[in-house]
Amino acid sequence: MPSEPLSIDARHVKKRFGTTQALRDVNATFQTGVLHGLIGPDGAGKTTLLRTLMGLLRPDEGSITFTKNKIPVPFSSIRPTMAYMPQQQSLYPDLSCSEHLDFFRDLYQIPKNLYQERRKELLHITRLEQFADRSASQLSGGMYKKLGLMCALLQSPTILLLDEPTNGVDPISRREFWDLLYRLLAQNILILISTAYMDEAERCGHVHLLDEGAILAHGEPRALLEKEQVKNFDTFFINRAHKGAGV
Amino acid sequence: MTFDFSVTRTLSMAKKEVRHILQDPFTLAVALGFPLLLLTFFGYVIDFNVKNIRLLAVDSDHSRASRQLMEVFESSQYFKLTAAPSSGQIVHLLDEEKAKAVLMIEPGFGKDWARNRTAKAQVILDGADNSIAGTILTYLSGIQAAALKKLSGEEFRQTITLKTRFLYNPELNSQWFVIPGLTVVIIGIISILLTALTVAREWENGSMELLLSTPVRPLEIIIGKLAPYILIGLGAVVTVYLAARGLFQVPFKGNHLLYLVACALFLGTTLAQGLVISVVARQQALAIQLANITGMLPSLLLSGFIFPIESMPRFFQIFTSILPAKWFMVIIRGIFLKGAGLLDLKTPFIALFIINVVLIFIAAKSFKKDLEP
Repeated sequence: MPSEPLSIDARHVKKRFGTTQALRDVNATFQTGVLHGLIGPDGAGKTTLLRTLMGLLRPDEGSITFTKNKIPVPFSSIRPTMAYMPQQQSLYPDLSCSEHLDFFRDLYQIPKNLYQERRKELLHITRLEQFADRSASQLSGGMYKKLGLMCALLQSPTILLLDEPTNGVDPISRREFWDLLYRLLAQNILILISTAYMDEAERCGHVHLLDEGAILAHGEPRALLEKEQVKNFDTFFINRAHKGAGV
Repeated sequence: MTFDFSVTRTLSMAKKEVRHILQDPFTLAVALGFPLLLLTFFGYVIDFNVKNIRLLAVDSDHSRASRQLMEVFESSQYFKLTAAPSSGQIVHLLDEEKAKAVLMIEPGFGKDWARNRTAKAQVILDGADNSIAGTILTYLSGIQAAALKKLSGEEFRQTITLKTRFLYNPELNSQWFVIPGLTVVIIGIISILLTALTVAREWENGSMELLLSTPVRPLEIIIGKLAPYILIGLGAVVTVYLAARGLFQVPFKGNHLLYLVACALFLGTTLAQGLVISVVARQQALAIQLANITGMLPSLLLSGFIFPIESMPRFFQIFTSILPAKWFMVIIRGIFLKGAGLLDLKTPFIALFIINVVLIFIAAKSFKKDLEP
C-alpha cells in the first residue's frame, strides 16, 4: 500500500473542564515518518490533547486539520485508519490475547488471510506467542501494554497515537517497546507518543514540551537541549518549576 | 450523515459479550439462577392460599352439638384443631404463635341449640397477621353454613342465597395469580440490571475509550451488547411460561403471538431503562443500586404483582401509571388467565408503547459518543 504523507495540524486549540483549563493555546504539527514525542509532567494536558486529536473530545476553540499530500482532508476519511492506545487500562481482563485480537479483527473487518499474517507477525515482534491464551488480567505490565499496541496495530494504521504506553513498565520492557516503535516508523506511519519519562524524550525524532496546557518548546531533542542550554529534559522542567515558584 | 451500520461489527460486540457472560459468575447467576429462584420462591414457598390454620378449641360445653361444630371446622381442611388446656391461657398461646385463632364454645351451646335459641360460639383471631386473619374471616361464613346443615341434619332452608362464583380463577388459586406475574418481575430484573451493568462495565473498565476510537459505531455497540440479554430475557419468558403451564398447571387462555409481542414490547422498555442507567452511572456499583431502585422495587411492589394498585393511596395509583411494569402486569394477567385480546387491552398496550418510545428516545439521546464529560 503506497502510503501518502499525512500531517495533523493543531491551531490555537483550547479545552476547559469545569474550572480547569486543560489546554490553553496549543499549536503543533505532526507528520508522517517522524517519531513525535509529547513530553510533559502529569497533568500537563497530554491525554486531553491526544483525545482531542482522536476526536474523542471537541476543542472549545481552535482547529485540528488533517492533510494528505499537504491537501486538507476531512477527519471522517482519516479516522478509520487511525489507531489509538489509551493511557488507562482499557483491555478486557477476562479475555485472552487471542480473543482480543479476534475481537479487533471483527471491529476493523480485516480479511481472514491478511489477519492471520498480521497476527503472526505481531505476536512474533511482541514476543507474546506463548502467551496467546493468557487472559489480559494475568499479563505483566509490559505484556499488557504490548497487547494494547497489538490491538492498535492490527489494522495497519496510518496514524498511531499512544498515550503513555510505557508508564509503569520495567526498563527492559520499555526498551523493547521503543524498538518496536522504530520498526513501525520504518513502515512510514505517523506516530505520536506521550510520556512523562523525560529520558524517553531523547528517543523521539521530534518533541513537543507540554506543561499546564501549553506547548513550551518543540524541535529535535538534541537541538532543543542545546538551544535551552540544559543537559536533559528533567533539568528543563525542574528549572521551569523553580522559576514559576520564584526561586 | 451517512448511515453506516455493520453487521459484522455488531456481531463481534455480541460475541464478546457472550464471552464476558460465560466468564462472569455474577451475570450467569443472575441470568440463570434468578428466574429459577423466583419461580421456586413464589411458586412453592410463598402460598397465599391459607390452609391448616392452627385453631385452638376451648369447648366449655361438652355437648354433642359442640363436638359437631368442631368437626365442621376440622373437616373443612382449612383448620387444624387442638384442644386448649384451659381458657385462661388462650391469649398467651396466641402470643407465642402456637395458634392463629381460637374457637370458644360457651357452656349451654348445646342446650340453646336444642331449644331453638341462638347458639353462640366465639372465634378470636390474631389480628397481628392481618392477611391470615382476613382469610379466616372469609372462611367463617362458609363454616357457619356448613355447621347449620350438619347440626340440623337437613338442608337449611334459605330464602335468599347469594352464590359467589369467581371467574377466570374459580378456586382463587394464588399460584395462578402469581406465576404469570413473575414474567414481569423476572424480565424487569434481568434486563434492567444486566443491561445497566454491561455498558457501565465498559466505562468503568476504560474499554469504552478504546472502543470509541475504533470504527465501531455507538448503535453497533448498543445493539451488539444488548443482543445476548434480549435472548436471555426471551429465555426467561419461555421458562416462566413453561413452568406456569407444566409445573403449576396455570391455564393459558389467550393468544400466544399477542403474549410474545407484549413481552418484546416490555423487554424493549426495560432494556432502554437499563441503558439510561448505565449512561448516567458509568460505574457498576452505582448501576446496581439504580437498577434495584428503578427496576426491581417497582416491578415487585408497585406493579400490582402482590399488592393491588386499586388499594394503594391515590398518589401511587397515578404514579404507577408511568411504570411500564404496571401496564405489562395487566396485559400478562389478562392474556394468560382471561384470554383477553388486543382490543380488551388497548389502554395498557398504548401506555406501554408510549413509555417504550419515550425511554428508547432518552436512551439514544443520552448515549455518549465521545469522552466529553
